[in-house]
Amino acid sequence: MNAARLLTPGERRAAFGAREEAHALARRLPRAVIAARDIAASILHGAHGRRRAGVGDAFWQFRQYAAGESAARIDWRRSARDDRLYVREREWEAAHTIWLWIDTSASMAFVSDLAMQSKLDRALLTGLAFAEMMVRAGERVGLMGLTRALSSRDVIERFAESLLMEERADHAPPELPPALALAPRARALILSDCLVDPAAFAARLSTLASRGASGHVVAVADPVEETFPFSGHVELRDVDSPAVLRAGAAQSWRADYIARLRSHRAALADTCRAHGFGFLVHRTDRPASEVLIALRGRFEAGATA
Amino acid sequence: MIPLAFTAPLALVGLAALPIVWLILRVTPPRPRRLPFPPLKLILDLQRKDETPARTPWPLLLLRLAIAALAVLAFAGPVWNPNAAQAPGAQTLALIVDDGWPAAPTWARRIAYASAEIEAAGRRGAPVALVAMSEPRDLAAVEPARALERLRALKPKPWAPDRAAALGAIEKFLGADTSARLVWLADGLETGGARAFAEKLASLASTPIDIVSEPSRQRALTDARNETGALSVAVLRAGAAGAATGRVRAFDLKGAPLGEAPFDLASATETRAKIELPVELRNAIAWLDIDGEHSAGAVALIDERQRRRKVGLASGASADVAQPLLAPDYYLTKALGPYADVREARANAPDPVGALIDDGASVLVLSDIAVAPGAMRARLDKYLEDGGVIVRFAGSRLAASGDDLTPATLRRGGRTLGGALSWETPKKLRPFDRESPFFGLKTGDDVSVSRQVLAEPEPGLSERTWAQLADGTPVVTAERRGRGLVVLFHVTADTTWSNLPLSGLFPEMLRRIVALSAEMEQAPAPAEDGPLARQTRPEALAPQRTLDGFGVLGAPPASARPIPAGETARAGADHPPGFYGAGAHALSAVNALAPEERPKPADFSGLAHRAVALEAPQPVDLRPLALGLMLAMFVIDGFAALWYAGGLTWRRANGRRRGAAAVVALAASLALAAPPRAARAQTPPPQPQATQRDISAALATRLAYVVTGDARADEASRLGLQELSRTLAERTSLAPAEPVGVDPARDELVFYPFLYWPIVATRPQPPPLAVQKIAAFMKQGGFVVFDTRDALTARAGGPPSPEAQWLRELLAGVDVPALEPVPRDHVVTKTFYIIDGFVGRTANGQTWIEALPPEPAGESRPARSGDSVSPLIVVSNDLAAAWAADRSGATLYPLTPGGPRQRELALRGGVNLVMYTLTGNYKADQVHVRDLLNRLGH
Repeated sequence: MNAARLLTPGERRAAFGAREEAHALARRLPRAVIAARDIAASILHGAHGRRRAGVGDAFWQFRQYAAGESAARIDWRRSARDDRLYVREREWEAAHTIWLWIDTSASMAFVSDLAMQSKLDRALLTGLAFAEMMVRAGERVGLMGLTRALSSRDVIERFAESLLMEERADHAPPELPPALALAPRARALILSDCLVDPAAFAARLSTLASRGASGHVVAVADPVEETFPFSGHVELRDVDSPAVLRAGAAQSWRADYIARLRSHRAALADTCRAHGFGFLVHRTDRPASEVLIALRGRFEAGATA
Repeated sequence: MIPLAFTAPLALVGLAALPIVWLILRVTPPRPRRLPFPPLKLILDLQRKDETPARTPWPLLLLRLAIAALAVLAFAGPVWNPNAAQAPGAQTLALIVDDGWPAAPTWARRIAYASAEIEAAGRRGAPVALVAMSEPRDLAAVEPARALERLRALKPKPWAPDRAAALGAIEKFLGADTSARLVWLADGLETGGARAFAEKLASLASTPIDIVSEPSRQRALTDARNETGALSVAVLRAGAAGAATGRVRAFDLKGAPLGEAPFDLASATETRAKIELPVELRNAIAWLDIDGEHSAGAVALIDERQRRRKVGLASGASADVAQPLLAPDYYLTKALGPYADVREARANAPDPVGALIDDGASVLVLSDIAVAPGAMRARLDKYLEDGGVIVRFAGSRLAASGDDLTPATLRRGGRTLGGALSWETPKKLRPFDRESPFFGLKTGDDVSVSRQVLAEPEPGLSERTWAQLADGTPVVTAERRGRGLVVLFHVTADTTWSNLPLSGLFPEMLRRIVALSAEMEQAPAPAEDGPLARQTRPEALAPQRTLDGFGVLGAPPASARPIPAGETARAGADHPPGFYGAGAHALSAVNALAPEERPKPADFSGLAHRAVALEAPQPVDLRPLALGLMLAMFVIDGFAALWYAGGLTWRRANGRRRGAAAVVALAASLALAAPPRAARAQTPPPQPQATQRDISAALATRLAYVVTGDARADEASRLGLQELSRTLAERTSLAPAEPVGVDPARDELVFYPFLYWPIVATRPQPPPLAVQKIAAFMKQGGFVVFDTRDALTARAGGPPSPEAQWLRELLAGVDVPALEPVPRDHVVTKTFYIIDGFVGRTANGQTWIEALPPEPAGESRPARSGDSVSPLIVVSNDLAAAWAADRSGATLYPLTPGGPRQRELALRGGVNLVMYTLTGNYKADQVHVRDLLNRLGH
């Protein structure tokens, strides 16, 4: 029979990594960050940057002021150096804003001996790697409700910091993304185990997509949750409620559970489809790069579509 | 029948409760595995019809039932091999105990068995009649306690008692008490009529008798023979149960071990062990025993008869090698060989008899030699005076000559019996008189004498006669001469005159004579010329030391009686085995086993008896075993329960605590099971630790000085070496690190190539360890500069200065090479500067260095050196003080006579010393460079 357990609070905190906590830094953050970078680097595709002047944050070039242009655009500092007037141009960034939400609720802190890592670890790793990948591709990525959309190189560190700050806050981590109405054309990536009431999930998703945002929902699942490999006398405890299920012969519950799970997933997938979201299931016994590749494909497809 | 009993059988009723335990256990399942499961809400609302928890798995159930059963059994007090709770009832117990030597090896067990029997009888309230085989008395049933006392007083006897003697008493006893139960602790040997005794017992007793015995393991020694080259003894065993291998040990009369010999019986019951020792040592052997076999039968006492004596043979006949059977020596050698070392005179020796006497022969056998007055006669007389025994054999030469070295005056010519010119037939021997040493030997009818020399009839001839023919003619006569003895056989030593040499009597007679020679050596010179036999052979020999049943020599018991002289007595109650006789030598030994005796295992087959093994298995209390087993099963049960609950995984942190608990339980059970010595840990030997100081010393070359403990000398050394190091760095390619003071007793010296040692005579000598280290340092190529600093006080040729004395003491235990004053051409004067001597604060001191090999002749070399660097140099000029300088280069110590030149010379000397230390004899070759280059140019 397979063993399964919850992460201890220390492990849970360590999962976020923290600059301030040397322990956590040594134990988890470098690993997560480096792994995320590695995976992002291995997934990175061709230049996504637009390499031309346009609306953007980054400096692109100075060019001579042309008559008729708005005087407000003159870069006076540069212009003061000689007789001509210059306009500072910024690189045109046709970046999407991608909003990321990583579920850090209690149910995520679960790992069985079939999995490569806990759901939380996997979700953080995938999310951070995805953010890095997207930033390198020229997109702007933000943590939903935690940060603004960033395109900086140290996005992983900043996200990790934000997540840790949030983790250290005293309130219980939410099971659902914050009720924000994302901007039109914004994309969302939700990494969660999706073990919530489908109705609540649908309501929140409709809020997110109310202004036309789309995105993807990745249901992170432990293999134990997928297969219910228990047998014999088992006492199953819920992680965020005192509910306990005592099964005299657990094997007899398997078929029912799998049917329930399938219908639950189907409900979620339906909800996602209805709001223009993609839905995919990622098992923690599969490598993280697998889901990253899938996500990249889907996001690129979404970008061109 | 299983030999299992319970001390508290009532507790077994508890086994009836097992079904209840089973029922309870069956419905108490193991603890469920507790697992977190996030998606639990998905199925929380499902209701199962079958929510009955799983039953306890059957292996676990079985295990727990077994534990419960074991607990009940343990409470019932199980005993394996319970003490024979003999037939109940108040039957009288008649206990017959064999107490001969065969019982000795297992005596303790026999007594234990008998005690157990008597105690059992005591518990039943039955009286006990006890009889020991060796002391049959009227049997009387007594209280068990008194019987026990009597039993404890019994000791094994050194002989094998005749069992028939005990029968009468037993018969009488059984006549009075017919229902008595007979128990015979038999020793398992047939010796003493075991079978007949058992048959008689069986016919007497109304119930089958108990014969308590074991496979006969007794081993015995007998028939010790002092053969040529070795003392051999027969090792016997009654049955194959006895250990096949062992060692026979030999002891002298004082009990000191002389030698031992292994033996291996393999599957036989008899073998011979040979103790190979020089004959002198062999003759000192007083007894042999089997190592580890504690019985009188395993001891063979050696007396004079087994001593080997040196017998010298000389014959008047010319040696005829071609026809050995006609040579008298042949029969003598054969007859004497088994018990004596026969030395034959070399055929062409100038003085054969003298050579034999010089060889230390105890007995001189002269066959048909006429002893003429003169040197030879004088030698023989002296030999007799010293207690020698001369055995002469007649022959044609003796018959023809008229020498008087005979016990009786001889008639010339002798007589012939049964020849062609004689009426008479060859005469037989008459049985020996009591006075004769040959008394006891059977003369037999086969010996006949056809020719002999005749003794003149004279007074006292009969007393001197040891053997005579049927007609009274003496055949063997003997006479004491001085402390010695002359024996004359009136016949030849070969078969020409009689067939005596062919008979079995001949070796026996010779043997007795040889045995007499031992007595001759010990006996004082006779005060008067009394009858010979009376002096030498007392009538009876009193027991001197006898064996006890366990084979230990001790004082004879009061019941021991003297043995008649000249007879081999059988061991028995009257004559316990031991040494008989007086004095330390002429002892006669009586052995427990006669030479021809072979112990046989007793055979009781076909008799109505109950065979009981003596080796009654000891009762074993099974309670600890049951409890231990229970504990082990508890541990197993714990693991099994853990396993069923899914706790037996310690791959993840969650399982760690349970795993740790399991490990603790396992360790506890192992600690209970393992013998305590398993816990003994071996501390690793301490490794020598390199100190920081050693490490830094190893990293840079530096000069070192010995810290003497005298502050001024040490300061001078430090400053001097500092300055020398600076000078070296300035002038040479060597840049030494800061000098260091070392303590030879404490510090490792191998890092320092150069050691400066100022001698301070007022300081105590360093400990021996330091001296050893200094010696090792010099042996390993170190260089020590001893500075006695006594140039001003020492006088050449005068007494050594205190410093020199101190140095001599220091180096007393050190292998110091020969020293010489530094020669002018020594390489040390040329290693860097060319200098004349080693100047210090003083300039006139002598400098000593290892003496160089002498200069090869005809070759003049500007510099000489040995093969290696001198291990030490002894200076007296206080070098360090001259080297020492302040920052400006001014000397810190006054120089004598003084001046900057002296200091410069001192420094140059120091530089040369260091260079010599580091470069060795390199400069000795370097000074030839010009010559070498010149030669190359040509």
